[in-house]
Amino acid sequence: MNTLKRVLADLDTVLHERGRLAIVAVLAAVESLTFTELRDELAMTDGNLSVHLQKLEEKGYVSITKHFVGRRPQTTCRLTPQGRRAFTRYLDLLQAIVHQGRAKAGA
Amino acid sequence: MDPLQANRNLELIRTLMERTTQYQLLTARAGLAAGCMAGLGALSFLVLDPRNPWQFGAVWGVVFAGSLTATLIGTVLRGRERGERVWSRPARAVLRALTPSLFAALAMTIFFFARGGEEYLWLPGIWMLCYGQGALATAAYAPRPIRSLGVAALLLGGLTLWLGPAWSVLMMGLVFGLGHIGLGVVLLVAERREGAVRLHRSVA
Repeated sequence: MNTLKRVLADLDTVLHERGRLAIVAVLAAVESLTFTELRDELAMTDGNLSVHLQKLEEKGYVSITKHFVGRRPQTTCRLTPQGRRAFTRYLDLLQAIVHQGRAKAGA
Repeated sequence: MDPLQANRNLELIRTLMERTTQYQLLTARAGLAAGCMAGLGALSFLVLDPRNPWQFGAVWGVVFAGSLTATLIGTVLRGRERGERVWSRPARAVLRALTPSLFAALAMTIFFFARGGEEYLWLPGIWMLCYGQGALATAAYAPRPIRSLGVAALLLGGLTLWLGPAWSVLMMGLVFGLGHIGLGVVLLVAERREGAVRLHRSVA
């Protein structure tokens, strides 16, 4: 049980929020996505997505670049190496929790 | 967080990552429709003459157009059903991967029909090779059964060329008819399983 407590204490609270976890999971599967693609992929509102992205950017997990395609502004989001490491760590922790639960059930 | 919730989060992550990279609007119904049309096309040569280029071209042209229409309708309906865009990033990636083999098949079709005689009867083997190559080119984005069908089409395309024109109609029925029906059945099973565990689309 102590091990489980230690694992839970290690959980990244920024990633643990469902919306932010979804953003990072989607960005982990591709090189980059535009703000619009990400919004449509996750069926989030502009405001909700902006808030989550800001939090992820502050933490250094996501990089956001703004540029113009023709005359239209475009925002591109990508996972940083730091974000990818945090995501991998988070997945490892989830798996550890699942394994511990199975082990406990089997005991 | 309890193990059940951890498992649910892992499932959500897997679904999101797969949905982002995989083209998932291909429907079992479209596969079954394409298979039935190809099967009927092959059977029509019990009455029609494959050595007549007009009849041969018309039958397989109708089968191709019908299969394409069934796929388009199936895709649009599935997109609406799931609330997903049809012209999505994975859809564009799949089309880009398919274009070279579609172009090769079209060029070879025109070439063999233009040469006259009965040389067009070699086309089924070539179509299968192009189809197999196209299916495998989409391997990074397509569901697993498509890859298996691609490998089978490549192998059977080679066999069709080796067997010669006399076997072309039968092989068309086998690969595009039974092959697509098999694909449709596998997709149908996968759709039912997915329907049972589908996660809510919105995560916001």
